[in-house]
Amino acid sequence: MHNSLDTVNIMEKRLKLQGPHLWTREEAKKIRAEVTSILDSLTVGDTLVVDLSKVKVFDYSFANELFGKTMLSLSHEHPGRFMIVENLTEYTRENLGKALEGLNLAMIEREGSKLRLIGKVHPADKETFDALAHSTEPVSAGALSKELGLNLTAMNERLSKLTTLGLIRRDKGSSAAGREQYEYRVLR
Amino acid sequence: MKKLDSNTFDELLQEQEPSLRKPPSFDLREIGFVSPAGLVQLAAWSYQIARRKHRPRILVDDPSVRSYLVRAGFASAVGPVADIVPALNGDWGRYFRGSNPMLIEVTRIESASMLSDLLDRIILVPRQNLKYRETDAYDIAIAVSEVTQNTFDHNSSSYGFLSMQVYKSNPPFLEIGIADYGDGLLSTLRRNPKYKEIDDDKDAIAHCIRLGTSEHDDLTRGTGLHHLLEITYKHEGLVQIRSGNAKVRYRMDKRQGWFFSVATMGGVQIALNLPSKVSD
Repeated sequence: MHNSLDTVNIMEKRLKLQGPHLWTREEAKKIRAEVTSILDSLTVGDTLVVDLSKVKVFDYSFANELFGKTMLSLSHEHPGRFMIVENLTEYTRENLGKALEGLNLAMIEREGSKLRLIGKVHPADKETFDALAHSTEPVSAGALSKELGLNLTAMNERLSKLTTLGLIRRDKGSSAAGREQYEYRVLR
Repeated sequence: MKKLDSNTFDELLQEQEPSLRKPPSFDLREIGFVSPAGLVQLAAWSYQIARRKHRPRILVDDPSVRSYLVRAGFASAVGPVADIVPALNGDWGRYFRGSNPMLIEVTRIESASMLSDLLDRIILVPRQNLKYRETDAYDIAIAVSEVTQNTFDHNSSSYGFLSMQVYKSNPPFLEIGIADYGDGLLSTLRRNPKYKEIDDDKDAIAHCIRLGTSEHDDLTRGTGLHHLLEITYKHEGLVQIRSGNAKVRYRMDKRQGWFFSVATMGGVQIALNLPSKVSD
């Protein structure tokens, strides 16, 4: 199998998986080595886009090895970097969702300009992610808690969970009063 | 007509005690029909006996069964380790693997690299013969992929065997048999300290069908049998999982499973029956 890699710009690298049938954990290990090497080359805020347009089917071992293992380690091995998928079919979306659910994980899928989560997604996570995805600027926990009508502790818990899952990014910023605070965003 | 399938294999194993005979012999002289699951279980049994430095014999009289053993690839798969008695004549060359669109001949599964072609055929057969939609056929290939990966992931010195046959009965259906003669679920599971308390085959099967149960302490492992059951349920099939001296049969139109005690045989053996989609 030969997977093609394009650099769209500094912020985004694309890995196009060659299908149509992707079987076995062993095959996924080879691609994961490629994925890890790309993630190593990214800087904070960069995104690896895995393009599945040529893929019709993969088995669960493949999905767990490639997407599951990468997402499990993303936030501590490559903090601030993202791996997202695009061009899924209804069938591959359903199966990737099941694989991620089995691991209590979620991933970002991009469809056109829309971002959404697939996998194990609690409605609270979805609400938080959607709010961040729609925001053009980084947002603090305080501002987001006001927007969603939550107390700050609950907001911090939600944001912490999504950061650990590698679905949002946390950077240091400063408030209008000049105080240091964390700011959150999805992708750039 | 007596048949050899995933059920009667166990009955014969119990009645005949073929491994204890000298030489070890499986007597199929009263058998008039053999299913894919029966074939691969017999192949796994033959290789298991051969590992103990014996050359087993398989006694077969019925001409149609003898012919089927050749056409279904069984004779060539077990030829290196077992004798079919009386010996087959020299007609082997008349049959070519892949020439029957309703059959996947007994195939030895040794590594991941050989799975791709096999799974492509598994997608094709139900699509051509049982009106499966593309994604339904993918489901079957996923189930087979997960189970066959187990055979070489967890066993280093044994093989697995796979066979598949479409039956144009009323209603039509397909059967897939996958069998190995490796360490079996109990021994494999107990390599993980988390499961060392498990001490019988029935419990081992019950654990292994849960998502994430594996010999490896790795969240991403332990997908095979769980997804086999989910996919069988989705397509309202029947599945039997056998290991050691226990087996479970699931009837998925009712999502109900029954456990049985059976005569001991090493390894893991799976029989999967799926209905046609003609009425869809």
